[in-house]
Amino acid sequence: MLDGRGVRAGFLRLAPVGVFAAPFGLAFGAAAVEHGLLPLETLIMSATVFAGAAQFAVLDLWSHPLPLLSIALTVLAVNARHLLLGAALSPWVNALPWPRRLLALPLLSDANFADSYRSLREGGGDGVANLGVLVGGGLALWLAWTAGTALGAYAGSGLGDLGRFGIDLVMACFFAAVAAGDLKTPSSLLPAAVAAAVAVLALEAVPAGWNIILAALAGASVGALTGRLRPGR
Amino acid sequence: MALTTLATRVLGPAIMSRFSVTPVLEGFLNALSSSVIVAIVATVVAQGGWREAAAVALAAGVMLAARSAVWAMLAGATCAALWRVALG
Repeated sequence: MLDGRGVRAGFLRLAPVGVFAAPFGLAFGAAAVEHGLLPLETLIMSATVFAGAAQFAVLDLWSHPLPLLSIALTVLAVNARHLLLGAALSPWVNALPWPRRLLALPLLSDANFADSYRSLREGGGDGVANLGVLVGGGLALWLAWTAGTALGAYAGSGLGDLGRFGIDLVMACFFAAVAAGDLKTPSSLLPAAVAAAVAVLALEAVPAGWNIILAALAGASVGALTGRLRPGR
Repeated sequence: MALTTLATRVLGPAIMSRFSVTPVLEGFLNALSSSVIVAIVATVVAQGGWREAAAVALAAGVMLAARSAVWAMLAGATCAALWRVALG
């Protein structure tokens, strides 16, 4: 089921996590303005896309005219993992009537997935599995992300050379942290090494952004092969 | 961007009611997003220099030690800021 009580519970549970999402939003807002986006464009992007890694990833591609195909493919590649999260939630989502299925997922992200998946599997606090927890948690994160972006986009532009504050490298540092967190298992090291090598080797050979797409396909193909070789799965 | 992202969010259960997640597909999708992220970091370091490499390495190290992306990001950005101020 999906109802207001679940939404409220999820919102309250993830509000503290939102406090940590806001600084990322602030960093994104400042970085986006540094890459030439208008503050309003930056705010609209955060409000409608609500996917930090994908938003940071397209900043380097942001030149006029916009390379729409590279942008779409990069966003697709970064966010393809949502498909796996959605697949894990499918027993509960597919049990909802149609219009509600669409309501359940637009704010799906890592933090509210982790929180609601646990709660759904345990049947919620009172034995009722409630997808509202996912929606409410997403709402808390969305508010923090959008508010942080607004602050960074409108206040960050008055600071002058952002390199003095290291803001030009916030994105790379954030990604390095995410990558370090992902590389827990030996099987994830090989795809990452292949992706890094392809990205650097292709850098001079292809138009801006395409070295990332080639690297993603190469790394993911290695991941598919090691997924096949992994025993017992 | 918004539509592509929305599609990845909403289509998961719809696709999974028709197919099952095979190990090959799971491996592909799992490696896809981390490959993009590693590729972006590698590109930034390749286009930059020692300042970029130091900041990124510190961020990764703090993440491994402290398990906190916020502290990792702060440490890396502070390193980059100090480097710019001290070494230009």
